[in-house]
Amino acid sequence: MLQLINVRKAFGPIVAVDDLSLTIHQGEVFGLLGPNGAGKTTTVNMAVGLLRPDRGTIEVDGVGSPDRPDVRARVGVATQALALYDELTGEENLSFFGKLQGLTGRKLADRVEWALQFVALTDRRRDAVAKYSGGMKRRLNIAVAMIHDPPLLLLDEPTVGVDPQSRNAIFENILALRQQGRTVVYTTHYMEEAQRLCDRVGIIDRGRLLALDSVERLITAHGGKSVLIADRGDGDIRVDTDDPLAELLRLQKEGPLQRFRVERPDLERVFLHLTGRELRDA
Amino acid sequence: MNPILALAMKDLRLLFRDKVGFFFTFFFPLLYAVFFGAIFSSSGGGGSAMKIVIVDEDGSEGSKAFIRELNDSPELEIEVRSRDEAMSLVRRGKRVGYIVLPEGFGKVRNRVFGGERLKIETGVDPARAAEAGMLNGVLTKYMYQGVQDAFSDPEKMQAQINESLAEVQNAEDMDPTAKATLLWFLPAMQRFLRELPKDGQSNRGWQTFDLESKDVAVQRTGPQNSYEISFPQGIIWGVMGCAAAFGISLVVERTKGTLVRLRIAPIGRAHILGGKALACLLTTLSIPILLFLLGVLAFGIRPDSWFLLGVGIVSISLCFVGIMMMLSVMGRTEQAAGGIGWAVLMVMAMIGGGMIPLFIMPPWMQTISHASPVKWSILVMEGAIWRNFSIAEMALPCGILVAVGLTCFIIGAKAFYWTEG
Repeated sequence: MLQLINVRKAFGPIVAVDDLSLTIHQGEVFGLLGPNGAGKTTTVNMAVGLLRPDRGTIEVDGVGSPDRPDVRARVGVATQALALYDELTGEENLSFFGKLQGLTGRKLADRVEWALQFVALTDRRRDAVAKYSGGMKRRLNIAVAMIHDPPLLLLDEPTVGVDPQSRNAIFENILALRQQGRTVVYTTHYMEEAQRLCDRVGIIDRGRLLALDSVERLITAHGGKSVLIADRGDGDIRVDTDDPLAELLRLQKEGPLQRFRVERPDLERVFLHLTGRELRDA
Repeated sequence: MNPILALAMKDLRLLFRDKVGFFFTFFFPLLYAVFFGAIFSSSGGGGSAMKIVIVDEDGSEGSKAFIRELNDSPELEIEVRSRDEAMSLVRRGKRVGYIVLPEGFGKVRNRVFGGERLKIETGVDPARAAEAGMLNGVLTKYMYQGVQDAFSDPEKMQAQINESLAEVQNAEDMDPTAKATLLWFLPAMQRFLRELPKDGQSNRGWQTFDLESKDVAVQRTGPQNSYEISFPQGIIWGVMGCAAAFGISLVVERTKGTLVRLRIAPIGRAHILGGKALACLLTTLSIPILLFLLGVLAFGIRPDSWFLLGVGIVSISLCFVGIMMMLSVMGRTEQAAGGIGWAVLMVMAMIGGGMIPLFIMPPWMQTISHASPVKWSILVMEGAIWRNFSIAEMALPCGILVAVGLTCFIIGAKAFYWTEG
């Protein structure tokens, strides 16, 4: 659905994306993770035609480069900044962006209706966006990206600053899209979101792809062992292990335990392992 | 729907939703035009009467009749007061001037021959020299009117001659030569008047001329009223406000991120700028159209040529669409673009006659005004309304406006920042 081959993009002396090759398959939810300044947004911007790579090729849906308007029509984008007109109603925003995508008449009306229902904003369709909560604006931002029913959807940090209910609603929307066979590229800082939603995850840093696989395989490959933490009343005992249950039984035989817990490896540990623990303020 | 049309409709909808923007686009120009039109129309210019005070020190039937004549005249608005009150009113600028009718005025006014010369005192604010001259002219006219009436009526003339003859015969200190001449002339004049035929039109003692005034509506050389000057100025403020608003809105599209979504859509950059230009064009067209319709219906504006006015309005709109595009690159933020943009527009208005009419400005400033599109915009509107411009005369200012608009649009479009960074 989206293929980047040896793509490079530099801004003066700073190389934002360096020889990146990536293939995203149809029907999958793909997580693009990386610290600040890793090159995620530059990659997304190149994928939708906002930036032209210095080198390499990008192909959408097997049709061609997103430089072409007809290719861009196959992509929907929910940008990190809320790209909406506050003075217009939710319905008017959807209708306007639908018209820009070439929708007219009955088809436009049907898509607006579908999009409003999909993000649960039907009741507030005639309210000015300025009156929406942060979560409602985020949902409308996604609805605008999907108004023309694109096969490829790029969601850039879609849950920033939203309440738990809206976040959950957005998760359900993404899972519903996967069930419908859409391809979703999802960039986020929240590892638990990627772990919950994504079929595959690519971790990039300093413009280079560090790892690319399913969440489970990434954890297996880079997450390290589980940690069993037990307490006999005289301080914690920490044991790195591949088999926490066997280790727990062994400790129990040595003496009674007052309490214990197991820390399993997760995507966050994989992320920190691959990208390091130093602060990134870029 | 064509994407340019969709973009334009969106911008127009945003304009109408913004109450402050809508006010400054449509209502402020109207307020400006009506306010300044009303001020100019009541400032003593145009056809309004001159307010003066009369001091009647004679108090005779003759002086009262003269005051009635002045009061009936279209040129003057009369008020009779004492000398002190009259001087005070003029000193405080409440009245243009005063006229003192001296004792004996009524007796002497219509006398034609002999006697002492009549001395009439007038007082006018020295700062109002033009009006003082006008007052003297009007006064002379009505003084002469009395003499003319006497000459035009043979019976009245006979009575005048009899009175003068008696005075000459009784005058002991008169020059003997002059006395002899008058004693010959006045009886001869009496005989002449007695022998005049008594048949209608030819029964006229003194053949002067009748002045007939006609309204020359077609060959106007000046505005019909003050609103024909103030409306073009008001319209220019609306058009400038519109250019500023749409220029800033392009910057806002970029800073708020909607420009990114527009660029991602399957349309070209030309569509995006074209949509903004179309919305600006439709608004800048609608401002003069609405205001002129209102001006015609309610304020007595009568354009010489509707066709040329239409051509002028289109030229002005094209010019300011280009200026809008130029304003959008004058700052990266909304505040910067708004501040710099309005500073540029204010200078254009100041030197171009948008604040005060150009004909009031000194010659050097009128020369500088050629650099301002505001000057050419006002000129094309005035040319079509009351300057009676021909098509050839309209071609130059309209051509300048279109050329300025085109140049600004091309420069602005090439310099436009498509990204935040």
